[in-house]
Amino acid sequence: MLKVKQVSKIYEGKIAYRALTDINLTIDEGEFVGIMGPSGSGKTTLLNMIATIDEPTTGEILINERNPHVLKKEALAQFRRRELGFVFQDFNLLHTLTVEENIVLPLTLDGKKVKEMKDKAYEIAEKLGITGIMKKRTYEISGGQAQRAAVARAMIHTPKLLLADEPTGNLDSKSSKDVMEMLESINKTEKTTMMLVTHDAQAASYCNRVIFIRDGKFYSEIHRGDNRQAFFQKIIDTLSLLGGDAHDLSSVRV
Amino acid sequence: MTFRQFAFNNVIRNKRLYAAYFLSSLFTVMVFFTFSIFANHPALSGDGMNSTVTKGMNAAAGIIYVFSFFFVLYSMSSFLQSRKKEFGLLMMQGMSMKQIRLMVFLENMLIGFLATLSGILLGVVFAKAILLLAENVLIIERALSFYFPVKAILITFISFIILFFFISLFVTYVLRSKKLIELIKGNKMSKGEPKANLFLTMLAVLLLGAGYAVALIAKGLVVVAAMVPVIIVVCIGTYLLFTQLSVYIIRRLKKNERVFWFKTNMLLFSDLAFRMKDNARTFFMVAMVSTVAFSAIGSLFGFQTVLTSNIKNVNSTTFSYKTSEENEVKNVEFINQTLKEEKIEADSEHTILRYFEVGGDSILIAGQSDFNRFAALIDEDPIDLKDGQVMTVEFEGTNFGQTKELLNETITLKSGTVLKPKEVIHSKALPATDSYFIVSDEDYQKLPEPEFQESYYAWQATDGEERVMAASEKLYKELPRYEITSVDYEIYEIMKGYGPILFVGLFIGIVFFVSAGSFLYFRLYMDLDEDKQKFRSISKMGLTEKELKKVLNRQTMILFFAPILVALIHGAVALTALSNLFYFNLFKESVAVLSVFLAIQVVYFFIVRFFYTKQIKASI
Repeated sequence: MLKVKQVSKIYEGKIAYRALTDINLTIDEGEFVGIMGPSGSGKTTLLNMIATIDEPTTGEILINERNPHVLKKEALAQFRRRELGFVFQDFNLLHTLTVEENIVLPLTLDGKKVKEMKDKAYEIAEKLGITGIMKKRTYEISGGQAQRAAVARAMIHTPKLLLADEPTGNLDSKSSKDVMEMLESINKTEKTTMMLVTHDAQAASYCNRVIFIRDGKFYSEIHRGDNRQAFFQKIIDTLSLLGGDAHDLSSVRV
Repeated sequence: MTFRQFAFNNVIRNKRLYAAYFLSSLFTVMVFFTFSIFANHPALSGDGMNSTVTKGMNAAAGIIYVFSFFFVLYSMSSFLQSRKKEFGLLMMQGMSMKQIRLMVFLENMLIGFLATLSGILLGVVFAKAILLLAENVLIIERALSFYFPVKAILITFISFIILFFFISLFVTYVLRSKKLIELIKGNKMSKGEPKANLFLTMLAVLLLGAGYAVALIAKGLVVVAAMVPVIIVVCIGTYLLFTQLSVYIIRRLKKNERVFWFKTNMLLFSDLAFRMKDNARTFFMVAMVSTVAFSAIGSLFGFQTVLTSNIKNVNSTTFSYKTSEENEVKNVEFINQTLKEEKIEADSEHTILRYFEVGGDSILIAGQSDFNRFAALIDEDPIDLKDGQVMTVEFEGTNFGQTKELLNETITLKSGTVLKPKEVIHSKALPATDSYFIVSDEDYQKLPEPEFQESYYAWQATDGEERVMAASEKLYKELPRYEITSVDYEIYEIMKGYGPILFVGLFIGIVFFVSAGSFLYFRLYMDLDEDKQKFRSISKMGLTEKELKKVLNRQTMILFFAPILVALIHGAVALTALSNLFYFNLFKESVAVLSVFLAIQVVYFFIVRFFYTKQIKASI
């Protein structure tokens, strides 16, 4: 599904900065993969490159055997709109729109029929339990609801790959748990491939597999067994091996 | 770092943020200064000009000054709005409201001082250009040479330091009683979508409709009487149009999901609805200010056309001479002599104009062959009348409407036969301020004794037209003013008196129009940060460049053309009312003036759109 081959990223500038070095990563169809690492380890850079928002300096990224980075700008935007789904830490909902309108936005841009959009929006809202807030504006709903609306927006066009950047970063523990359980269930029922970047060990424990990077390099990888609680413990252990203090694991992200 | 240093550095090290406000202040200073360079020019204030012109100039300077005050005030308060977050931060660090006011006051004085200085400096650079422009618009004997405008510099400097002082005082009260949380959250707090009141929406339509109807129907002096009420009604109507009717329409569009959910419409309309509260006030201001500019310049041009074309219509030939006094032969001899001296070749005709009592008025009645001779002089078609036939002649252009009354009158010949006028033609062949009759030559002989008669000569130059002015000057010196008429010279005389009014009007009109543009610019850039953020998040989800451009294009287009369109319609109605006042068709002048403004606005739109799109794209 997703192949990252020998990807490096160097930020040019007065002081050139190497953000990623020779990253290799393969994600299979229907997998739910977490990326973890301390602040500044290059997690978000990696996600941005997979999201086609940023380009790798060397190496290549294949999504479904296609390299999106060779596409022209216009085609790339449409690729993002049709093949990928995004969930952000700060939700990125437009405050001028209602929840429903936010959810259907990717479809409206594609010029779909109103009936079709409405049906899809209500179908997904039903699944995510947000039908009650569809007509509300974004400042009238809680963070957990906003993130669920954002997930609905990311899922409405049934993307091949869902990318989540710290989806629980701005949420309280209860809402975090709700959102992660929701993502997990979507992953199971819809077979959507997912990639998650997070600081939060609790959130990462919902993944099938967690990859750790440190200073822009691959560090280690652990798989989840049957028990999520045990997996959570393993993640904590790896994080402490990864070095740094417990403070590094706070949800403050640069 | 002392407090004063802090305020000072805040401005100096933050140039980009303050640039827009600084530039608009600089612009106002420059406008005022260039105007006072012109108004205080020695060639104008000297003996050559009368005191009414000087008074007019001072009044115009006053208008510009008052307008500058409001313009700077508006710029300042919109600038402060965009800095809410900064004030919130400072207050969180423990700065008291008093200190913030002091800081804003100091900053504002600094900017005002710099703007005044650089405005004057730039004004000196452009002084020559404005004087050249004035020279071309005005008809002034002496050229307006460049001079070092000490008086203008002093006036501008003092007036604007005072202006900025008062604005600085005033503006600190704009900041009153804002809660800290509101300041910090800034735009994130929802201002809420404005709601339209159905009654007020209807009222907007009603007021505008009524105002327009009265303005369009009124004729003649009724226009003057109706002017003030119509202006008030249309003013209120326009305000409601933007605050209520537009909101109402947008809400209706939003409810229609077929429209609202179609491609990029959602992005466009939702923002439009959201910003309508802020936009409405700007739109209203821009529309009114532009209307004033359009109407002022349109009326000035229209009035000029009315004046000159009246002279041209009444006097269709190059020179004419009308007399009922004795030295006729001598004077005509003198005219012919002068024409020869100036090497002007001209065809000439002579006749006796006879005026008869018709329906209580003295009305000119001319014979057919006399009329035809003069018609041939200016290449008009001759007419052919049978005995007993009477033709009514009406002027082209200004029409004071006596033709209808004349058609009800009759002419009684000596024999007692009564003639009734039937046809109406348009002609400029004979000079008269009223409509008049033509009868056949046969009937002409049978007319009773005229009330009075005068001798009329006309010359139509066929060669040497460029020396007509020189000849006219000689003729006007020698002959009585009411007997000799030279069209070119009359127009020249009118333009000489009218020039300064026209120039001042043009100047003020342009200032108003340009500042209307600045209002729009401010409005657009206040939303820049919000737009940047919005498009950044949407483009992550996948928004093609084409779609981005489309949304931005429409967004700026609505901002730039909605108020101008309203102003254009207002202007068109106002100019139509003006032409009704003078019974004179000003269609051509109105179209010319309004389309020039529209063209400027289109150019301005393209420039602003280019930069705005560039900034948004850079932030993605």
